Amino acid sequence: MNRTMITATNTLAQLQKQMEIVSHNVANIDTAGYKRREANFTDLLFQQFNNQRNPNAETARLTPAGIRQGVGAKLAQSQIVMKQGALKATERPLDLAFTKEGQYFRVLEQTEDGAAVRFTRAGTLYLTPVSENETMLVTGDGLPVLDENNNSIIINGQAKNFKVTETGSFLAEAANGSIQEFNLGVVLINKPQFLEQKGDNLLGLSDGVDGDGIFTELNGALRGQIGMAQGSLEQSNVDMSKEMTDLINLQRAYQFQSRSVSMADQMMGLINGIR
Amino acid sequence: MFRGFYTAASGMLAQQRRTEVLTNNMANANTPGFKADQTSLRAFPEMLLQRMGQQTVPTENGLNLPFNGEVGRLTTGVYMQETLPSFMQGDMKETGMNTDLALLDLNLPVNPDTGLRGSVFYAAAGIDGEPRYTRNGNFTIDGGGYLTTASGLYILDDAGERIQLSSDRFTVSEDGVITGEAGETARLGIMYAQNPESLRKEGDGLFAATEESVLENAYNAPNVQFKLQQGYLERSNVDASRTMTDMMTAYRSFEANQKVLQAYDRSMEKAANEIGRIG
Repeated sequence: MNRTMITATNTLAQLQKQMEIVSHNVANIDTAGYKRREANFTDLLFQQFNNQRNPNAETARLTPAGIRQGVGAKLAQSQIVMKQGALKATERPLDLAFTKEGQYFRVLEQTEDGAAVRFTRAGTLYLTPVSENETMLVTGDGLPVLDENNNSIIINGQAKNFKVTETGSFLAEAANGSIQEFNLGVVLINKPQFLEQKGDNLLGLSDGVDGDGIFTELNGALRGQIGMAQGSLEQSNVDMSKEMTDLINLQRAYQFQSRSVSMADQMMGLINGIR
Repeated sequence: MFRGFYTAASGMLAQQRRTEVLTNNMANANTPGFKADQTSLRAFPEMLLQRMGQQTVPTENGLNLPFNGEVGRLTTGVYMQETLPSFMQGDMKETGMNTDLALLDLNLPVNPDTGLRGSVFYAAAGIDGEPRYTRNGNFTIDGGGYLTTASGLYILDDAGERIQLSSDRFTVSEDGVITGEAGETARLGIMYAQNPESLRKEGDGLFAATEESVLENAYNAPNVQFKLQQGYLERSNVDASRTMTDMMTAYRSFEANQKVLQAYDRSMEKAANEIGRIG
């Protein structure tokens, strides 16, 4: 059989996967704190054909015996790119942005298996009432933002002014001038490729994996490393022109492969046409 | 009788195999560090045709002498002998990822036996524990902090050990020294192949050494100069327009062989149906 067709269709399917990643990036170009993914290819397995039945006839050959034929390319990995996104000033006191790479808020998500800690850089925070006299700090999706001890942040009474320091302290000032202080929970991710994208702009550990070495909780003395800005939002780090260039390149690669398929088809037509 | 019948068929087979290899090259036009395979076709062994006849000497009774004469040489077809990767440097593409490393050849000695340049590779540990070599610098860090290839094979340092890092915020100098965030250092294992043609391609960007190709540490090899660039990837060295042209040539050559095959068939049709016709 004509292996051209197999090679080309293998690759077509993989190119389509990369196209899906590119379009996901473009779709999230306006998602605050979104980190783009970059896909890379590798070649598929090579097969060896022993084409020399008489090795003595080719003694002068310097290369290893046989010929090796590959069967296309596959998507090797899609890596999350942690580069800093641009900061957009919003002047809203509960919009927070990280100014250093790799730092994430800790939030609590309720899953089927119970509560799980997730990480996000989307800093559009809100307050939601939890009882008559208490409000809780939550993300745009309503997930509780955690403090450095992994407790949710609950403000007693009516607060009117909010201040967030550069190192992640959250200060709520009540009408009578009393101030409640919370330390926002921040992690530094060391091995970002090990985290799963959980949807809703959240990152998290895979089931049954402990976070040892994958991230560091920036607590205590490490809080000095935190870089946070109030009244700003971090834009996604997707670069439209780069994504479009990738898309064009991809589409051409797709075209080349489909040309190979039709060429293989015509070759098979020629074989059929011998008689 | 029709000696070229199978010659034309072997031409079709060889061109089909060439198309297959070219398609694989085209499929990997976006694979970092991919080295395009070149194909070489070779004629089957030649045959020497002789004719047997008689020569009549003009004597009174007519004397017949046996005679052997050479008609000439005949080659009996063609086959694809080998696929040989071209180790030409690929273009550089900036990615900005710390885990993307590109190997840039600066000065690599020419092998006097083959007239070809050597090549440098990253060293990785194969699944079977034997070393493998790759030019694909699209690395990643696994859960244990080890530097691996995209498919998870450990990248080795110049002592053949795995490289463990505390985070992906590390720097790599031009001469291969990795400095991690916590101050850990390692030197990337870069190997030099004097005869890269004798490496065996395995897929997944990997090359395996054979008996003819023993790789040496590139840092100690005389006159070998290379450079590492962090945040860059070496692109595939496949030239898409050239590959497409080659494929079209192979296709047309396949078509021409098919036409020859048909011409032979028509000759045979004549022999079978017309020569034997009576009346």
